[in-house]
Amino acid sequence: MSDRTRLRLVVLRVLIVSLVLTLLGRLWYLQVLAAPQYERAAADNQVRDIIATAPRGEILDDRGLAFARNRTALVVSVDRVALLRQHDGGVAVLQRLAQVLHVPYSDLHDRITLCGAGGLPEGCWNGSPYEPIPVTQLKNDLNSTRLALQILERKEDFPGVTAALAAVRSYVKPDGAFATHLLGNLAPITADELKRLPQSEQDARRRDLVGRQGLEQEYDQWLRGSAGITQVAVDHLGAVTGTLKETPPQPGDNLVTSLDARVQASLEHALVGAVQHARQLGVQAYGGPADFAAGVVLNAQTGHVVAMASYPTYDPSLWDGGRIDVKAYDRLRREPGAPLVDKAFSSAYSPGSSFKPISTSGLLRDGTASLSGAYPCGSSYSVGGRSFRNFEGEAAGTIDLHRTLVISCDTVYYYLAYRDWLRDEGLVARHKKPVEGVQHMARAYGIGMPPGIDLPNATTGHIADRRNTLLQWKQTHRNYCIGAKRRKPGDILKAYDQEYCTDGWRFNAGLQLIEDIGQGSVLVSPLQLAVAYAAVANGGTVFEPRVGQAIVDPSGHVVKQLPAPVRGHLPLAKEQLDYIRNALYDVTTQGTGATAFAGWPQDKFRVGGKTGTAEIGLNRSYTSPWFASFAGKTGQKPQFVCVITVDKGGVGGVVAAPAVRQVWDTVFGVDGQKAAFPTGHPPRSLPRLPTSPLVSHSSAVSGGGAGNSALPDLAWPPAVAVRSGGRPTLAGDT
Amino acid sequence: MTDWSTPRTAPYSVQRRHESLRERALDRESPLRRLDWVLLFAVAALCTFGALLVWGATKPQNLAAGIDPNAYLKKDLLNVAIGLILGSIAALVDYRTIRAYTPVVYLASLAGLVLVLVHGVTVNGSHSWINVGGGFEVQPSEFAKIALIVGAAMLLGEKRDGAEAPDQRDIWLTFAAASVPILLILKQPDVGTVMVIGFVIFGVIAISGVSSKWILGMIGVALAGAVVIMHLHLLKQYQIDRFTSFTNPHADVQGSGYNTNQARIAIGSGGWLGKGLFHGAQTNGQFVPEQETDFVFTVAGEEFGLVGSGLLVLLVGVVLWRGLSIAARAEDAYGTLLAVGVVCWFGFQAFENIGMTVGIMPVTGLPLPFVSYGGSSMFASMIAVGLLQNVYMRSRT
Repeated sequence: MSDRTRLRLVVLRVLIVSLVLTLLGRLWYLQVLAAPQYERAAADNQVRDIIATAPRGEILDDRGLAFARNRTALVVSVDRVALLRQHDGGVAVLQRLAQVLHVPYSDLHDRITLCGAGGLPEGCWNGSPYEPIPVTQLKNDLNSTRLALQILERKEDFPGVTAALAAVRSYVKPDGAFATHLLGNLAPITADELKRLPQSEQDARRRDLVGRQGLEQEYDQWLRGSAGITQVAVDHLGAVTGTLKETPPQPGDNLVTSLDARVQASLEHALVGAVQHARQLGVQAYGGPADFAAGVVLNAQTGHVVAMASYPTYDPSLWDGGRIDVKAYDRLRREPGAPLVDKAFSSAYSPGSSFKPISTSGLLRDGTASLSGAYPCGSSYSVGGRSFRNFEGEAAGTIDLHRTLVISCDTVYYYLAYRDWLRDEGLVARHKKPVEGVQHMARAYGIGMPPGIDLPNATTGHIADRRNTLLQWKQTHRNYCIGAKRRKPGDILKAYDQEYCTDGWRFNAGLQLIEDIGQGSVLVSPLQLAVAYAAVANGGTVFEPRVGQAIVDPSGHVVKQLPAPVRGHLPLAKEQLDYIRNALYDVTTQGTGATAFAGWPQDKFRVGGKTGTAEIGLNRSYTSPWFASFAGKTGQKPQFVCVITVDKGGVGGVVAAPAVRQVWDTVFGVDGQKAAFPTGHPPRSLPRLPTSPLVSHSSAVSGGGAGNSALPDLAWPPAVAVRSGGRPTLAGDT
Repeated sequence: MTDWSTPRTAPYSVQRRHESLRERALDRESPLRRLDWVLLFAVAALCTFGALLVWGATKPQNLAAGIDPNAYLKKDLLNVAIGLILGSIAALVDYRTIRAYTPVVYLASLAGLVLVLVHGVTVNGSHSWINVGGGFEVQPSEFAKIALIVGAAMLLGEKRDGAEAPDQRDIWLTFAAASVPILLILKQPDVGTVMVIGFVIFGVIAISGVSSKWILGMIGVALAGAVVIMHLHLLKQYQIDRFTSFTNPHADVQGSGYNTNQARIAIGSGGWLGKGLFHGAQTNGQFVPEQETDFVFTVAGEEFGLVGSGLLVLLVGVVLWRGLSIAARAEDAYGTLLAVGVVCWFGFQAFENIGMTVGIMPVTGLPLPFVSYGGSSMFASMIAVGLLQNVYMRSRT
C-alpha cells in the first residue's frame, strides 16, 4: 500500500469522525437545547381544542314566557381549509352549495371570506380560518332537513361542507310582544373585542356571538355561559386519535325580567294606535304627522320595568341566529322613523306640561309657591316686553296649585318662574349661589341624570341652569356667530343665530319661564318621566329602574336577585307630595285627561296623571303629546306608572291619554280587556322555570381534513377545532 | 499390526477429511474465527435497532387501520434474515473470485437498471422499482452500487508493473464504467443514488493513490456541474425547492419544508430519553412522512431520545471505523478499494439520511443502511458488509 493511500485513509477516518461528531452535536442541540421549543411545536401539532359553544340563557318575562330562547336548527358549515384544497379552490363546491341552499354564490363567498383590516364584505368571518364557518341556518322543518340530508349524503360533492344541529338564538314574541329594543341582539365578536380578552380565553371565544344593545348586551356575561373545550389528539390529517381532556359547556343563566309580555304587547299596540290616531286627526284636530312614539310601564313600587316600547319598531326575529339579513337591515336603516333606534330610553324630548308636577315640587321646595297660595292664571304673561301665552290663550282667574295642575295653567308657572328667576338673579348679583329650585328638584327626580337602568345607551336628558347654559354657549356659540354673519338678510335663522351668539350664555327669564312648563331646554326620556312619576306615586322614592328581575341558573336556582336600587328620596314633605298626587288624580276626572278617561271605573282602579303638549320646532308648528300616569287598585298605593309620548302627534289629552288608557285596560282588565294583573299587582314571586332543554348535548368533531371526520349524524353543537394550524398535503419523496 | 511406514500425518489427514462442519467452523484457520466481530455486532445492533424503529413507526398506524400491527416488523426481520444469507455468501466466496466475475456482476446490474426503466414501478415520482411478484419489489440501483464498487476496485486495484497508483487509462475507464449506470439511474430519476455513486467513485479514486490533481479536478468538475445544473434548470422546481428547503426550514412549513420541519419537531420533542417505543405522538400521528423508510431516524429521535439516536449515530460510526480498518489492513489494493467503496457508500448515505432528518442536509430519498425498512437496501447493505468481512478474513493478521 502506498503512503498516499495510507495518508488518505487517515484523512477519510478524520472525515468520518467529524461527521459523526457533527451529527451528535446537532442532536444535542435539537434534543437538549431546543427541546422545549420542539415540545411545544409537537403539542401544537397534535392537540386540537374543540370548542362547543354553550347554549345561551333565555330572556323571560315575569310569568316565565320566553322573549329570547334557543331554537334547534340545522346549520350548514363550510371548512375553508378543505375547500382551498380543492383544485379550483372550492369554487365548484360553493356553487353547488349555493344552488342547494337557494342563496346567491356571492353571499356564501362573503361568508367564508376572512375579516381583515377594513373594506371587507358584510358578514365576513371573524373566527379562526381553520374552523368550519357556519354559512346559513336552516329552519328546522321538513324541507330543510331534506336539504341537510342532501348535503350529508352527497359528501363527495360537498367536501368540507357539514350540516349539524345547533342551538340558535330565537326571538319568539310571546303574546305578540316584540320588545325589540329592550332585547337587543347578538352579533359575532369583533377582532378588537377578542384582542382585549385574556389570551387564555381567546380561542374559546373566537366564534362567540356577543350581545349587542339591550338586555343581550347588558346581561351578556350571565347569558353567555362558558364554552366547552375538548382537547383531542389528532394525526397529520386532522383525524382524531383520542381525547385528552374534556370540559363540557356550561349553559348560560336565564334572565327573568320584570317585563310582562301581555302589557308589553298592549303598550306596543297602544303606540301603533296612538300614531294612527294622531295621523287621522291631523294638526287641525289636535293630531299631527306622528313620526314616532314611545312608552314605558313601570312598577312604581319596585322600580321595575313592566313594559317599554317605541314605534316604529321591527320584528326581533330578524336577528335570529345572531345574524340579520343585510338587505333587511339596510331597508330598516332607511325607513322613516328610524325603527332601528329606540325612542323610549335612549333619546330625550321636551315633556311639556307633564313636567309640571316636577316644577311644582321645585317651586314648593324653594318656597316660591305654597300649598295655600293662589296665583293668577291669565291668558298671557309678559316679561321684559315679551308675552308668554297660556296654552290656547285661556284664562281661569286666580287659582291654587291644585287647580293649576288640573287644568294645566301655564301662566301660573310663568308668574312663579319669573319670581324665582328674579330672586336667583338677585343672588347672582350679590355673588351668591342661585337657588334654582326647579332644576335641583328635577335632578332629584332623575332628570338630567343618568337613569342607571340595566340597559346600554340610556340618555341622561337635560335640564338647563345658569351654569350649563354658559358652558354650552362657550362650546357652541362660535358656529352661531358665524351663522349670524353669513346668513342672508331676511333669513329667520340669522336673527336667531345673532341672538344666541351674543346672549346665548345668559340664563334669561324666558328660559326659566318655559322650563317650568317643560319646554325649551328640559329634555327627558319617557323612561325618566316614568321614574319621576313613580316617585310621585310611591311617596318619593326615586329608583334606578331595572328590567331584569333575577338571574336564574339552568337548573332553576336563583343566582342573583336584581332589585332596582334606590337613587334617593324626594326632598319634599309628605303633604306636599300627597297634594301633587291628589291634583293629578283629579286630572283624569276634571282636568285635561278627563275626556280620555270618561267612563273609567275610578272606584275600582284609580288613575292619576298629567297631560303634556310640547311645542316643537322654531315656529312651533307641531306639538308632541304626552301623558304620564299612575294607577292602582282604589284605596291602595298606585302600583304602576305609564308614560306615552308621540312625536309631533298633537295634544296630550287627545292622543297620548287615550293610548295610556288602552294600556291600563290591559293591565287591570277594563273596557272588556282581559286583565294582565287581575289583582292589580304584578306576580309577587319569580316564575318557576322549566329546566332548559338544551342543557344536555353531544358534541361532534370536525377536523380540518376533508371527509375524515364522522359527521353524518346530526350532532350538536357544531364543534370546531381551533388551536393549531392546517395540515399540509404531503410532499412526495423521490 | 502396526504399519510404521504409514506417515504420521496420515491418520490426522484422514481424520481431517472427516471433520464435522462444527469442528471446521471452530478450527483456528477457519474464516469464521477471523470474522470482524465488532463490525458484525455493530451491524446486528443496527438491524435490531432498525427493526424496532420500523415497528414503532408502523404498529400504531397499522392498529388504527386494522392491519396486522406487526406486518412491517415481520417483513423487516425477514429482510434481515435474507440479507444475512446473502451477506454470508458474499463473505465466504473469496473476494478474488468475485473479482474474476466483476464483468458479469457489472453487466447484470446494468441489465437490472435497464429493466427498471422498461418494467419499473413508480413510487413517489421515481421509476426505481421492479415488481418481482409476491408483493416484493426490487430496487436495482441498490445492487448497482455494489457492482460499481466491485468494478471500480478492480479497475483501480490492479496496478501495472508495480506502479504506486493507477494510470490515467484506468481512471478514465472507471469514469466510463460509472457513467453508464449513473445515466440510467438519472433517468429514473433517483438523484440521491447518483450522488452516492458519485461520492463512492470519488472516494475509491482518491484512496487508490492518484495524484492530488485528480482529486482537485473531480471536486472542480462536481462544483461546475452543480452550477450548470442550477443555471440550466435541469432539475424540476420541486426538486430544487426540496433540496434547498433545509437552508431555511421555516420558509414553507406546509409545502416543501414540511417534511424537514415535522422531522425536526419529532426529534426535538424526544428530549434526553425519548417518549418510549410506540409512545411518540408525532410518530403515531403520522406527522412525519416516509417514516419507516427515509425518515426512520425520526422515530429514534422521538421515541428513544438523545440517548437512542446518539447510540444509533455511534453504531454507524463503528461500522465506518471498522470498514476503514479493514481497508487499511487488506491483503491487496483491490481489497482496500473494495472496503473504501463500501465505507464511502455507507458514510455518505448515513450522513445524508440522518443529516436531512436533523435539518443540516437537503432532503433526498436515501435509506439509512440496516435501519430503514426496505428489502433491496437491506440486501445490498448486507452483501456489502459481507464483502468487508471477506476482505477482513483474507487479510494479513
